[in-house]
Amino acid sequence: MTNSMNNVNYVTNLVENSFEILKTEVVNKNQVSFIVEKATVHGLLTFLKTAGWIQLSYLSAVDWIEENQLELVYIVFNWEKPVYIQVRTRLDREHPEMASILPIYPGCQYYERETHEFFGIKFPGNPNHEKQLILEEWDDMPPLLKDFDPRAYSDRKFAKREYSNDFVNLNGQESKQKKREERRAYIKEVRKGGKK
Amino acid sequence: MLSTKFSKMTKEEIDRKWWEIGDFFRRNSLWMLMYCTGCCAIELPPAMTSAYDMERLGMGPMATPRQADVLLVTGYLSLKTLRRLIYTYEQMSEPKYVVGFGSCTINGGVYHDSHAVINQLNQYIPVDVYVAGCMPNTEAVMNGFVDLMDLIKSKKANGWKDYHERYDWYLANQKAALGEVRVHDEFHE
Repeated sequence: MTNSMNNVNYVTNLVENSFEILKTEVVNKNQVSFIVEKATVHGLLTFLKTAGWIQLSYLSAVDWIEENQLELVYIVFNWEKPVYIQVRTRLDREHPEMASILPIYPGCQYYERETHEFFGIKFPGNPNHEKQLILEEWDDMPPLLKDFDPRAYSDRKFAKREYSNDFVNLNGQESKQKKREERRAYIKEVRKGGKK
Repeated sequence: MLSTKFSKMTKEEIDRKWWEIGDFFRRNSLWMLMYCTGCCAIELPPAMTSAYDMERLGMGPMATPRQADVLLVTGYLSLKTLRRLIYTYEQMSEPKYVVGFGSCTINGGVYHDSHAVINQLNQYIPVDVYVAGCMPNTEAVMNGFVDLMDLIKSKKANGWKDYHERYDWYLANQKAALGEVRVHDEFHE
């Protein structure tokens, strides 16, 4: 296919005919987003992997705090057709849990660990999902949730440097004009080799 | 037995002389270990290559902590990095010096309210010279190195001695920020 928009149409038809999609959004000519139910994700990802989207590019989450939901985003990539596919699904924010996609994409191992660390989403099926990855010895709530206050955490945990003055007042200084003139005169004198 | 000037010196005086001789050679051939954590590391290539030519101060890059004299901490340190930095610092052989780059090591800089990044480097390891700026000029970086050499000459670069004397204080700070200093990950178990 020469026209890249055809790729997007091809993907949209392919997916919409076989799965129940809540909302399809064409982000640009290289990217399509499908919002699906939680139960559809595994079937859809398996289908996409068979259809050529063999690489899991990214897996992360978005915190929709006002709707009390967490949104998981899976991004998969195909090396033959240049289209990224986002598969999005909403989870309950209080007890977020999603079955691991480890059997489909083994590369999700580290993404799931990271998402668990930063958003507190559990991934049963991935034996390592609770192992620490980036935040070592973390002792607070997951830090990328919107109700986490990083400034309060930083103030509590890390010592701040204390300054005696907040500012330096440059007003009311003595004029340096006289010094400048003296220096110029001295330079002139030196240039002449010290002769008057 | 010749009665020279040296034979009348006490042991302390002789030791001090040797340290002065050692310091002379050390400050004129500083091997640095670059811990390039943040964006200030971008100031090192111009400082090392022909533009500013660090070699004329006798400084050169060194591959391992055990053979290096100066530890350059270039930029912000996340907690995960700080653990590895403490490992690195403690592996260096003495005397050892630390240069902190940029406002992140001084007071947190633009990351002062981040949950992941420490605010003051000298709470956790002793720092001999700070180079201020976000990022510092390459001139400022070179000036910082010259300052370090002057400090070694005037015997004021005593961070590593301070680390021995006040180790409890440093350790308490490290534990307050990190929980535990030991690294537990796939590569250390």
